Amino acid sequence: MNLIINDIHCYGQCLRSWAPFVALFVVLSIALIAISLVLSNPRNRLKIFLFAQSSGILAIALTYYIMECSQMLSLYLYSAYLLVSTLIIFGALRYYDRIMIRKLEAKPAGSILNWTQDFVDMLTSAKLYYFESAIPKAFASGKSIFISIGLLEMLDDAELKAVLAHEAWHIRHNSGMPFMKQLALMAFSSEADPELELMADRFAAQIAGSQALLSARNKVDRVFI
Amino acid sequence: MVKLDQINISNDGLTKFFSPIEAAILRALWADGEMTTSELTGKTNIPLTSVAGTLDRLVKAGYTTRRTEKVNGRVRFMYEPVFSEEEAATEITTKILDSLVDTFGPLAVENFSKYTDKK
Repeated sequence: MNLIINDIHCYGQCLRSWAPFVALFVVLSIALIAISLVLSNPRNRLKIFLFAQSSGILAIALTYYIMECSQMLSLYLYSAYLLVSTLIIFGALRYYDRIMIRKLEAKPAGSILNWTQDFVDMLTSAKLYYFESAIPKAFASGKSIFISIGLLEMLDDAELKAVLAHEAWHIRHNSGMPFMKQLALMAFSSEADPELELMADRFAAQIAGSQALLSARNKVDRVFI
Repeated sequence: MVKLDQINISNDGLTKFFSPIEAAILRALWADGEMTTSELTGKTNIPLTSVAGTLDRLVKAGYTTRRTEKVNGRVRFMYEPVFSEEEAATEITTKILDSLVDTFGPLAVENFSKYTDKK
């Protein structure tokens, strides 16, 4: 504890003339993160978040270089930053579906339509959940697929199979998560990649028939990603 | 239930207290009691994309309840109003009168009795 207090003292001494620059980067990075949370366009959001990250890293790098005495505090700061951001990335990835189950109060879909979970089991190993919302929506996350009652109300069995096959494809191809997608998740923005969506649709058409996929898409375009 | 800061005196009918879509849904539910989502969109003549979010909000705010039904292997919501039209009217009137008395005190009460005399 004493060591850290000494370090903070030394930190102030060493940084004196450079402090405004470090502060500038820190403030900039916090401001950018705040802006990225407000933006609605996922692409811009991600860009701003990247700038915020780089600015944060610059602030740490700058302190590391100009510190003349003990560099312990910079080291602590840097390690803390690494630890927190790594925890956020992997925690969010691993537990996102659990968070969603709790948030949406989702329940196993097998209990309401028994054939749905069996159908998903044939395609991939994932648990199918439904949640109470009139808004037609379906999405996949981790090892879970979510569908809203609003979607179940709207689709017939063939169309529902097309949607489930589409989501199952996402689960099958989720394991190797691309770097940009990890970053997008870190920036709390998710963007449907058109190419991935097309591939998922192709798979869905193979499983459930292109007619079923087409009519599902026509009924609820853009609500299942 | 009704947020006083959202009351808009210059609007027509129920839209003084609710958004136009909320008002249309509540009117339909008060008129016919229980209804499925597709009956609601048919009755109000508003597309599902506009109604769905509002339905979620009305349920969350406690104006309507819904239960999940399974008919012929298909799942659907059945909506029901929580308050009758009379109960909603009483609640809204009480809230507005409360706020008037809160602001003007005895002056408001004096005007209430004048108003009842006129009627």
